[in-house]
Order: sequence, then structure tokens, then C-alpha cells
Amino acid sequence: MRTLKKIAVFTGSLLFPAILLAGEYELSVDPVVIDTGDFTKIGVGYNGSSPGPTLRMKEGEIATIRVTNNLDVDTSIHWHGLIVPADQDGVPGISFDGIKPGETFTYTFPVRQSGTYWYHSHSGFQEPDGAYGSLVIEAEDREPFRYDREYVVQLADKHPDAGAQIMHNLKNSAEYYNRTEQTLGDFFSDIGENGFLATVKDRWDWGNMRMMKTDIEDVQGFTGLINGRGPDQNWTALFEPGERVRLRLINSSASTYFDFRIPGMKMTVVAADGNNIQPVVVDELRLAVAETYDVIVQPREDKAYTLFAESMGRTGYARGTLAPREGMTAAVPEMREPPLLTMADMGHGGMDHSNMSDTEMSGSDMDHSSMGHGSMDQSAMDAADPFYAPGSGLLPQAASGGKFLSYADLRAQQPRYDYREPEREIVLRLTGNMERYIWSINGVKFEDAEPLRLQYGERVRIRFINETMMAHPMHLHGMWSLLNVGAQGDNPVKHVISVNPNTEVAFDVEVDEPGEWAFHCHIFNHASAGMFLKVVVEGGEA
Amino acid sequence: MKPWHKIGSVVLTGWLLSSPVQAMSGGHFWGVSFEELEYRTGDEDLLAWNGDLYYGSDELTFRWQPSGEYVLEESQYASLQNNLVVQKPVSGFFDVKAGVRLDTPEGEDRNYVLFGVTGLAPQWIEMDANFYWSDNSKASADLDLEYEILLTNYWVLSAAMDVKVGFHEDLEIGQAKGLNATELGFRLSRDLLGRTLSPYVGVVNERLYGDRKDWAEAAGSEPSEWFAVIGARLMF
Amino acid sequence: MKAKGTSTYLAAGFFLALWSFTSVVSASPGHGDQQRESMGQPGQPEQVDRSIDIEMHDNYYGVENLDIQAGETIRFQVTNKGKLVHEFSVGTPDMHEGHQEMMQMMVEHGAIKGGQINQQAMQMDMGDGRSMQHDDPNSLLLEAGETGELIWTFNEPVKNLEFACNLPGHYQAGMMGNFHFQQ
Repeated sequence: MRTLKKIAVFTGSLLFPAILLAGEYELSVDPVVIDTGDFTKIGVGYNGSSPGPTLRMKEGEIATIRVTNNLDVDTSIHWHGLIVPADQDGVPGISFDGIKPGETFTYTFPVRQSGTYWYHSHSGFQEPDGAYGSLVIEAEDREPFRYDREYVVQLADKHPDAGAQIMHNLKNSAEYYNRTEQTLGDFFSDIGENGFLATVKDRWDWGNMRMMKTDIEDVQGFTGLINGRGPDQNWTALFEPGERVRLRLINSSASTYFDFRIPGMKMTVVAADGNNIQPVVVDELRLAVAETYDVIVQPREDKAYTLFAESMGRTGYARGTLAPREGMTAAVPEMREPPLLTMADMGHGGMDHSNMSDTEMSGSDMDHSSMGHGSMDQSAMDAADPFYAPGSGLLPQAASGGKFLSYADLRAQQPRYDYREPEREIVLRLTGNMERYIWSINGVKFEDAEPLRLQYGERVRIRFINETMMAHPMHLHGMWSLLNVGAQGDNPVKHVISVNPNTEVAFDVEVDEPGEWAFHCHIFNHASAGMFLKVVVEGGEA
Repeated sequence: MKPWHKIGSVVLTGWLLSSPVQAMSGGHFWGVSFEELEYRTGDEDLLAWNGDLYYGSDELTFRWQPSGEYVLEESQYASLQNNLVVQKPVSGFFDVKAGVRLDTPEGEDRNYVLFGVTGLAPQWIEMDANFYWSDNSKASADLDLEYEILLTNYWVLSAAMDVKVGFHEDLEIGQAKGLNATELGFRLSRDLLGRTLSPYVGVVNERLYGDRKDWAEAAGSEPSEWFAVIGARLMF
Repeated sequence: MKAKGTSTYLAAGFFLALWSFTSVVSASPGHGDQQRESMGQPGQPEQVDRSIDIEMHDNYYGVENLDIQAGETIRFQVTNKGKLVHEFSVGTPDMHEGHQEMMQMMVEHGAIKGGQINQQAMQMDMGDGRSMQHDDPNSLLLEAGETGELIWTFNEPVKNLEFACNLPGHYQAGMMGNFHFQQ
């Protein structure tokens, strides 16, 4: 049916060229200088800067984007989260051959969605080197929320080392960038806290596994950016007190999850990954790599508010300001203590509970509603987020003590598809060897893996089982990922599914786009190291 | 904490920017590391090194592992060893290797075939064990163990022990049957420039055993020597 | 789409709500009774000066600004054109905020789900003698597709008088409108 629509749009463009909206965009891919305030480096950008410009498209238009490669190596642009024909998806080796140095490549596709997205290179190490930008699509219809002004808030983890160098160093030593390892001092303070025997046993148990509790961020040493500006450069957005401000949060990091909050202000989350959700009022939310969330805030006072995004491992932060006037600032909080993984994250304990996110939640309506406040142990249930292993060290808590957004809170505002039971289930184990810095799916790296074959027109359920101790933001190109939160037709529509250590997460795919697609972990170095699959949709007219 | 890292990074920024390596392509990797590259001073002054240079993939690497000791006063290589091996993972944490060892110190040369196991043992003990068969049919082995204690995330105290064993006597090169020698080292290092350069100071004890010890004493050498060392660990 | 039994429950609940018009003050204690009284009270059908049609969508009102006169009695004919449950509630921002906690509870307990209201769950005893029964006289709670009517007499001008949907997040996302008192 969606294909029919597409044909209709194309036919329309032939018959009524004057009526149809056309959007024309120009991007050049350039070597640029990136200044984070902490350091300056050479990188890759668009139209002379990193991040590139915000592309503003309109739902219903035919977008034409001319991309000129001014680098001396091949490049490409992937429109992250956009549903486009397979040959416009921008993944060299899968969608097309890439864009040669000096060449101008023209992307053309109908814009069939609205919301907050981004774009980035899918070649070499250009994305971590700065080749990313934001993409905003204005809705055809009125959106289910109101705002007086809007800002893109694009987060990134800019590292002083070049992307290829980071990969090189990780291959030589997986803990190359880990500067939060437990030290002798931690050993003694743990003895003070937990006693000698307990501490020795703890270190012994982890030492036997040769795993580190601090393997949360494998590329540390970055400066967090908001719209290309480091904490000291303080990107600032203006508001009039009482206005509703829509913040389009995008995590364009190469490897870093960010916990975002605005101290002193609640945020109403109205969209996830570009798709409207039933609004949720929160104090804080976690953005997995490559996710986008739209929040609406209503600062009523004539004062500045800090936009604060701490990395999940608390090794760096991005900071900006929301202020009534230029030059105003608010207090910048200290980062909280770095979390430590627990045995619950390791696959050794609690695997039998970790599939709760699905089995519990796909039950009847009352099952789900009772999870919040019902007869179960209230404090335990309040603390638990079914998308983390019970007892996980990564379980987030709002700095304010208030509400932290969970995947379990997400409900589609307007489902894109009628619900139907999936015809089959595909299990994908997320696997890896941290010591060797090898990442894989079902134990097989990309170059050795058979493509995953899907049939056009089917609905499949893909079940991830994360057997590693790191979180993986899994991104399927070309088709929506309907995250299973147990709400069936109201399951949120996403393009990145973050899978926490030692958990299972399932999502459904309506296989409605023919062609070949990439499917990978969006942590850049995990994808590079092999956590990447090619998906082939068989059938349908390509 | 940051300044060192940042300075190093700015210096190194861009050195691989136009790398031909494609992401998502499987790929080959290379690396250079020197666990020890140092000046030893005791009864005599030495330069000592122990390196590992590799190229390969996740499945197979080719390695050149040079090591040796150069006695400054005598301008002589007390030992000069080059291992050329292929190495292959066999488990999550261990690799096996096979290759040749070429010894060309002052005095007699020897060539060997070698088989070894290397990897990370439980409790974070790095180990490297090799069995050698020489071109004059003498067998020997060595075992290296290393353990690191993080005083902080930048200051590291490492303890290393090397053990050399002969299964046959090979008088020409001073190899006795049985336990020959141990080398025990404690080094305090500080990471600079990421982990590229980690200068250290430390102490090393070289000690001989059994026949090897008797031969040394007969020649007027000390069977146990302490050195103060200063050097740097390299990784890039 | 809608379960068959639900509309009966809804009707029952609705009459219950009408019935409790007289016992205005107040199921949820704590915010200014005085403010409540000054902002007006339920009106009688025979007092109605004019009717205003209100369309509720996901998640916004068809109109977002209404001009009114002090002392006027208005019949609000409210239609829920969305796919979700929505509310039309007259009050000040503080009152709305207080009401939002209760609505949050309703959603968390499954009394409101998507476009439907589960009256049984609504009447569940909350432990302190309260139920989640939505019987505030200043508001209408409508299922998807449902139409309802609220007659309200406005007293003297009140600053910041709003109509709002207090379902979790709806008010914050902008599902509210302002009453403007005309001289």
C-alpha cells in the first residue's frame, strides 16, 4: 500500500508538476576545521562546517539534494530515519557505489514523513570526523502539540583523535580510551565500605571473567557538543518567558549515550525518532546513539536554564543555555558519579528475568498497567525499567529524583501500521569480544555474514539478545522499527532500538520496502568492527 | 587530567585522517608496541628492549618481535633476538603462534622454530609462553607473566617476571639444562599522549640458577644483579 | 474499535458526573476554593446565554482562544474527534496541575487507555476512601468519538482562566486554550 502511495506521488509529479512541492538542496562535503573550545582538529563537514546545515524539508515534497564531494576520498550521505528508495539510502556497497572525489551526486526521493532526523556520511571514518547534520521535516498536517519556537539541539561526542586513529587504537588495546578503570584507591575505599573479603571476592569474580565494570564507554576523552559548540562555547537559544519551546534533540555521537536534562524544568516528550508519541512529562531522558527525541518545554521565568547532557558513563558532557537574552547563563551541574556495571549486566545472572520486557508486557492490558503501581512491591517496581536487566548498573535515575523516560513509556501517537501478529521471529544475538574489540551479530562479523533475507509484504519480529556488556543502538535502514513495548498497535515507531546489556528487546518490521539495506549498531566502532548485517528484501518491485 | 591527553591528541590529530581503511569492511590492522625500551644501570649499563610489531586481521596476524640487551661498555649485544611468527586466536582470550626465532648476539648464533601460547589469563595476568627447538636440536622454553596495578588511571605499577628453562644443555650459548634464569621487574609508568608513550622508572633483578649460575660465578660474574631502569613503554 | 460495554459505563459515569454538580467543592483538596468560586460554577440549561462548539483533536483544541463576558452562562458542546481520550476542563493553571496528578493515576491504573475509559477501574478504591471517579463538575472526560456538554456560568473576570486537557502530557504539549474576559 505504501508502494502504491509512492507510485501515486511519482505519477502526480508527472501529471501536475506545478502543483507538487519540490525541495532543492545543495550540500558540499568539505575538509573543515573543528574547534570545540577544548581543542582544534581537522575534520569533515558540509557546506564548510561541522555540523552541516539543518536541512528543512516539507512532508509531501520531492526532495532533490545535490551532494558535491570536495574530499580526496569517496563519500556518501545517509538520511538517517528517512524512508527512501533503496538506491537513495546512501550506504556505499549496499545502496550505491558512493560519491567519488570531485563528483556531484543527486539524491531524489519523495518525503513521506515529518519530524526530526539527521544525516551523516556512511563512508570511511567521516561521520566521527564531523560529517553529520540535522534534518527537519515540516508536517503536512497540524502536529499534535503546540510551540512558539523551535531549536535543533544536536549532540555529539567530538574526540581529538581522528576516527581511524580511534579504531586503530581500540584494535591495539580495547581499553585504550578507558580512563575510568578501577584503581588501587577504589580497592581500598571498597574495602572500607564493603569489607575486605567482599571486596576481594568482587575483584576476583570480575577478574575471572576478565571483564571490567567500567566498560560503559569505550571511547572516552571527547568533548560533548551541542550544535557544534563545546561546553565553554555555550550554545544559547533564546525564549520569551511563558513560550513553549520545542527542542529537537538529536544524538549524533559516534559512540556516546547522553542523559539530557534541563535543571529546574520539566520536559514533555512528544516525539521519538521523528514519530509523534503520546506526550510524556519527564525530568530527564537518555538518548542512545542516533536516536532523536522532540521535547516541549515552557520556561515561565525570566531566567536562564542550562541544557545539560552527561554521557552515560559520566566521562564528558555537553552544555548549552536556554535564556531570555544573549549572554545569560545558569549554573552548570557537576557530573554525577560514573556508574559501574553489575553482574546483572554480564549474562551470568538474571538472564531468565531479562526477557521480561517482552513476555510480561505483551500480556493483557491490565498486566501492563499493574506494573506501575499495582499490588507488586511498589518500590521495586518504581525503580525497575523493564528495558534494563534487573539490578543493572546502567539503570538511569533522574538527577532531580523525578521521572526518567523509559522505552516502556513510549506509545505511538498515530500508529503508522495497523497491528498484526508477526509471521515469524528472527533471533539476533548481539555478540562480541571486548578484549579483541570484535563486535558481531550471532557471533559472525559483517564480512563473514550471510545477508538477512526478508520477504516483501511479511511482518517479522526481530528479537535481540544482547550477550555483551555494552548497550547497542541497533539501526535498521529503510523500514520502521516497531519497538515492542507490549502496546501492540500503539507500539512506538522508531529507527534505533537500544538494547541494554543482558536484555532481550523485540521489534516488528512491516517489510514494505524492496531492496538491500544496512542494519547495524550505530556505535561507530562497533559497526566498523563487524556488528553490521546486510538485509535483503526479496520480492516487491525494486 | 585532560591537558596531557589533549596536547597529545592535537599533535596526533589527522595522522590517519585520510586513511584508506574503510569502515564496515573487515579490514586489516597493524600495531607497534614496546613493553620495555629502557636503560638499565647496575654493575654494568645496558640498553634493553622487548617489542611487538604486527599486521593482520582478527583471524591471523604476522608479528615481528625483537628483543635484546646491549652492553654499553663493551659495545656488545648480550642478547639479540628476533621472532617472526604467525599468530591465531584459539579462544576468547588466547592465541597460539608458530614461527622462527633468530638469535644473533655477540658469540654463537642460533636459529629456532618456536611454538607458543599468548593471552590474558584470569585475574588479568598477561602471559606469553614459548617452546623453542634450535637448529642444533636443543630444546628450551620461556614464560613471561605481567600484572598491572593501577595506582590511578594514568599511573601504573607493573610487575613482570620472565623465566627461562633449558631442556638440553647448549654450552656454546650458555644454556644449561633446567631452570636457567629469571628476570623480575617492577616499573612505575605514567601515560602520556594517550597511551602512545608511557615513561617509567623501575628496578629489575636478573638472576641465574643451577649450572648457569655456577658457570657465571666461575667466570667472575654476579649470579644476581639489580638494575635501576628508566625507559618508556610505546604503543601506536 | 471500541469495546461495546464501555459506552454504557461512560453514560453511567457521565450521569454520575452530572449528579454531583451540586456538590461542587471539592474532590481534590488543596487548591484555593476561593479561586474556584470566583471562576464560576455549573450553570443550568435554562440560563444558557449561548453555545460554543469545541472540537478536541489529538492533542489540541480546534479553538485555542475564547472571548467571554463575566456573568455569562455558556453551553460547551464538546466533541472528541481524536483517537485518544481527552478532557475539557475549565480552571486556572494551578487547578489543572492538581488535576493532572489524578489523570496520571487513571492512566497508570488502566482506567484510561488509548481512546477508551474503563469505568470499573475508575471506581477502584484507592485506599483512602477515594476513587478515581472523574466527577469534577468543571470538566468533561470523553472517549474517542464521544460528544458531551458542559454548562458553565462565569463569575467575575479571572486572570489565567483556561480550558485544558489534563491527560498526562496533553496540557504540557499544548492542549489548552485561554478564556479572555471582555469588558
